[in-house]
Amino acid sequence: MTDLSGPSDLPPLAVRKRDGLLTFGVTIVTVVCILAVIGPYIGPYDPTLTTPRVAVPPPGLLEIPGTFIGWLSGTLEYPPHWMGTDASGYDIFSRVIAAPRTDLAIALAANALSLILGVFFGLIAGYYRNWGTEFMMRVSDVMQSFPVFISAMVLVALAGRSTTNIVIALAFVYVPIYIRLTRAEVLSQKSRGFVEAARALGQPELTIALRHVLPNSMTPALIQSSVTIGFAILLTAGLSFVGAGVRPPTPEWGLMISTGANQIILGEWWPSVFPGIAISLTVFGFAVLGNALERRYEEGQ
Amino acid sequence: MLWRYIAKRLLIGVVQLFGLIIAVFFLIRLLPADPVSRLVGMNASEEAYAQAAAQLGLDQPVMTQLAQYLGLQPDVQPGLLQGSLGISWVTNTPVLTEIGSYLPVTLELITLAFIVALLVAVPVGMFGALNPGGRADKGVFLYSLFAGSQPEFWWGLLFVYVFYYQLGVAPPPLGRLSPMTNPPDFVTGVMLVDTLIAGSIPKFLEALHHLMLPVLTLAFILSGPIIKMVRQNMLRALQSDFVLYANCIGLPKKRVARYALRAAMAPSMTLIGILYGFMLSGAVLVESVFSLGGIGQYSIRSVLAFDYPAIQGVVLVITAISLLVYLILDLVHAAIDPRIAH
Amino acid sequence: MTLLTVRNLQVTYRSETAVSRPVDGASFTINPREVVGLVGDAGSGKSTAALALLGLARAPGAITGGAVIFEGRDLLKLPDDEVRAIRGRDIGIIVQNPRAALNPMLRVGTQIGNAYKAHNPATEAQARKQAVDMLRMVGINDPERRVEAFAHELSGGMAQRALIAMALSSKPKLLIADEPTSGLDVTIQAQFLDEMWQTVQSTGSAILLVTQELGVIANYCDRVLVLHDGRIVEDAPVRDFFANPQHPYSQDVLRLFRERGGEYPAQITGPRDFLKTDALTKHFPLRNSKKVVQAVDKVTLTIGRAEAVGLVGESGSGKTTVGRCLLRLVDATSGKITFDGTDITALPPADMRKIRSRMQIVFQDPYDSLNPRWTIEDLLAEPLRVHGTPDKATVRAKATAALNLVDLDPALLDRKPRGLGASTLQRVNIARALILDPEFVVLDEPTSVLAPRARNGLIALLAKLQKDLGISFLFISHDLTTVRYLCQRVAVMYLGQIVEEGTVEQVFSTPRHPYSAALLSAHLFPDPTHRRVDHPVPAALQGEIPSPIDVPKGCYLSSRCPHATDTCRATAQTLTSLPDGRQVRCMRVVNGEI
Repeated sequence: MTDLSGPSDLPPLAVRKRDGLLTFGVTIVTVVCILAVIGPYIGPYDPTLTTPRVAVPPPGLLEIPGTFIGWLSGTLEYPPHWMGTDASGYDIFSRVIAAPRTDLAIALAANALSLILGVFFGLIAGYYRNWGTEFMMRVSDVMQSFPVFISAMVLVALAGRSTTNIVIALAFVYVPIYIRLTRAEVLSQKSRGFVEAARALGQPELTIALRHVLPNSMTPALIQSSVTIGFAILLTAGLSFVGAGVRPPTPEWGLMISTGANQIILGEWWPSVFPGIAISLTVFGFAVLGNALERRYEEGQ
Repeated sequence: MLWRYIAKRLLIGVVQLFGLIIAVFFLIRLLPADPVSRLVGMNASEEAYAQAAAQLGLDQPVMTQLAQYLGLQPDVQPGLLQGSLGISWVTNTPVLTEIGSYLPVTLELITLAFIVALLVAVPVGMFGALNPGGRADKGVFLYSLFAGSQPEFWWGLLFVYVFYYQLGVAPPPLGRLSPMTNPPDFVTGVMLVDTLIAGSIPKFLEALHHLMLPVLTLAFILSGPIIKMVRQNMLRALQSDFVLYANCIGLPKKRVARYALRAAMAPSMTLIGILYGFMLSGAVLVESVFSLGGIGQYSIRSVLAFDYPAIQGVVLVITAISLLVYLILDLVHAAIDPRIAH
Repeated sequence: MTLLTVRNLQVTYRSETAVSRPVDGASFTINPREVVGLVGDAGSGKSTAALALLGLARAPGAITGGAVIFEGRDLLKLPDDEVRAIRGRDIGIIVQNPRAALNPMLRVGTQIGNAYKAHNPATEAQARKQAVDMLRMVGINDPERRVEAFAHELSGGMAQRALIAMALSSKPKLLIADEPTSGLDVTIQAQFLDEMWQTVQSTGSAILLVTQELGVIANYCDRVLVLHDGRIVEDAPVRDFFANPQHPYSQDVLRLFRERGGEYPAQITGPRDFLKTDALTKHFPLRNSKKVVQAVDKVTLTIGRAEAVGLVGESGSGKTTVGRCLLRLVDATSGKITFDGTDITALPPADMRKIRSRMQIVFQDPYDSLNPRWTIEDLLAEPLRVHGTPDKATVRAKATAALNLVDLDPALLDRKPRGLGASTLQRVNIARALILDPEFVVLDEPTSVLAPRARNGLIALLAKLQKDLGISFLFISHDLTTVRYLCQRVAVMYLGQIVEEGTVEQVFSTPRHPYSAALLSAHLFPDPTHRRVDHPVPAALQGEIPSPIDVPKGCYLSSRCPHATDTCRATAQTLTSLPDGRQVRCMRVVNGEI
């Protein structure tokens, strides 16, 4: 006999609708992830080599079908520059789709690193409350109150503008967020009944921490990941924009915008507009995904 | 009681600041940057290199450098204790003077952007909260998500292209006044104020014109998180038990709205603190797009030139301001919500 | 003429993922000056219905049909400002969780004043005076000071009084009381309901009393409405309802009381030394202070094999801490705990772990005490894995057996706690506690979050298990009705001390300690033939329970006891045996003075 009384779930009269936002977020994130793997190889040109054609504008809307047919039938003398070329002759389309290799890789690595460190320290800070962990929290408070962009810029510029250093710098500025999130969750989870119940059974404290508290404390941090990855992409691009990020000719969206910035006053919009759209959509996709996940989690609570 | 609390917070702030100064001091010296060769060039002779190092004081032991920076050896050179942030290695000007002229630009920018963002975001966010789940609310929500996740420097450029190049209604992104205009005397460093003090309405309008796009860019980015915050807090307040109860006992609509507004404002204070950091990060990029010459651009310049005293100065000033901002916000929060003071 | 007529009321909740109708076609009436009880399970839509009478629904809900006709006008069709004028003036409401219903940012006096000003022309000063008068009327001491308080500075009972002061400030014709005492202690609950009843007698209001406590219904209501699946399934005068319930739900709810008449469980015959505590004391240090919270104060308790001992008392009496000390979940400050002849007070962790397989605990909140990420099978296997290395088949077999033991379907093994009801989860907790065949189990308020019907089922199950398996129980509860049903002996705690201990029959039929007497007289037994309102019971205790940080000097009850003398206030009391075998901590009782 099953007894399902108690705060009963009322019979739903309608079932779950499709979550359009979630689909949108997942699509964008998937496309960017795929580009990160194959992007550098599928473009019509090598993204790190210049072409002899400088500052070619993209084909106009009306020319696109003709160019497309010409491209397919092989009647063009060279593959079309779908997004034009910049002042040095780089093919923008090839670079825009090759850039996720740099941007996403940096963002994912930085996020993974800060997530692991943050969850680890957050677990310790939540589980053991002594002067050491209190001090750690104060330090992370100060770190968090400082504008992330400036911190990251100082670290990358002084450590050297390599991809690894960008990853480490981003991880450094995002760790406090994860420490705080995890710690707060650990604090609330460790006073839950099932933790005390495990203790009453005689479970060793380490087992309780790893098997009961940790898995239940990680969800907010994992949700935050989606948001953080998006912001890490913004930050990476921003660093390149001010000249403290990856070095040219690495295909990177921020760098491309920066290269095109001087031309935009002169009306050459395409070198910066296309990579900008790419960033804009990507980061929005991650934000949407993070938000959808967050809502699911809150509904589950 | 209140004063003791403020004094305590300020004291803790000074300790935090001191810890941060020490940490930053060592951190930038631990990183493998070589400010000397950046200054004299890669191909400089060894003597020139050694001379430059000695001039910067980098030939001395690190602890001596620290002591000098803190101002423990005032006979050699003035330091923090004497109120000096050091001399910039690039311009040979005192860092404090430089920051004094760059900081007002940034404060002007973020204050205006914040006001504009609030003017737009608060009504929009409230509108969303008052019609939760509706089509308009979903639009408001999507907009806030979108605006909050955008590259501000790119939007700045986009605005320049549209409003300057295409429409011609904005000035080129080349500073706070046209390069042809003689700037007014430096009084506060805030261009809008200084032009007024100089009594020049045309210059005031010109400054305003030049601020238009930077403020628009930053306000657009800022409006995202603010709308989200207003909407969320207002929604939470409107759905709280006590607002429901206020309706239950038949309080007039206006009174209920006032209950809800106050409840929504209190938690916003903490978020505004977070926004402050967000704004400064944004300001760095926006300033550099529009060549405004604020503390953000100053920090870019110092960082790229490995100008240690300037970097330390920027970190110190920004942190000090943020500690003050947090303190003020906490005080306001406590004034709105008696539970906090408890 | 009826005061209020509700016809086909329907409230719909529409979220992005689901649509539900907690109130779906409810119809009933209320007459002037009548006290009507509205009962139903948790989630049956009682509170939603109560709110809908004012034309309101909690977001994202909306009233989607029906009529609420109050004095001839349909409130659901009136324009907003006219309904607002009726709310609070003609219909007052008090709700559960009163502290959340008060605006946390305004002083209580200001809020009562605002409520008064909304319906009566008054100046600021008049409104304030009204606030003070109303607080005094609802029995708050020192109302001039209390009007300055904020919600978070009030106890639950105080906040509820502030709410009722607001609700009654315009002498409404109908008072809706939505589980007004759900968070309150027994003695406070009775005090509050008595005062509410009396106040309403003077204002001439009718009451709609929403509750799931049958004791409250039996003692205060004239008529009962049963809400089930969103509609009224039974409408009967209170005596008829208890004597002859019609709807299957009502019969189910009343079963426990109807099956067992006046019998008490039979006493055990063996020695009572299986589990003993000797002067068990627990102090919790306070941060930034030298003071301590005196949670448990020299508790001496004995439990025999296969005996069920009840531990009763109000919140803050320390009964939960005693249970936790017994299992060494918190370490006692001083005193001794002996389990089956072994002193476990300071047993090394390795030895203690072995003992843990023989003693178990079931906590109050079934949702909270199960890890939401684990399947029921893993949850049941955890004790087995801590105390051995069983193979998969053994785990499965034992887990299935354990579920059968608590009348649950073994198909649940692969499910996770999410989506299961409180009563199911509490049964899983019990199965988990029993899977290692323990000899002693602490049950820490295991039924307090359950709806009455589920509670009855669980109590019957526990009684059966205790009898069949011969386990010793320490049953911690504030619900005297269940203790009376389940336990052989009972100990009454007040401020960390046991004040009376004896067989359930002794303590329940002739309580001797003034506190036990007060507790029992405040307990609302579900018996409409002896209603409190027909036989007024004088308030047995004054005020609220003192803080365990600053306990009174002499007898702990002396600040509230009607029999207290100067000697009581000065001398600490000791637990003394009486000739009939029970123990009482009261000098005056021992001396035969009261």
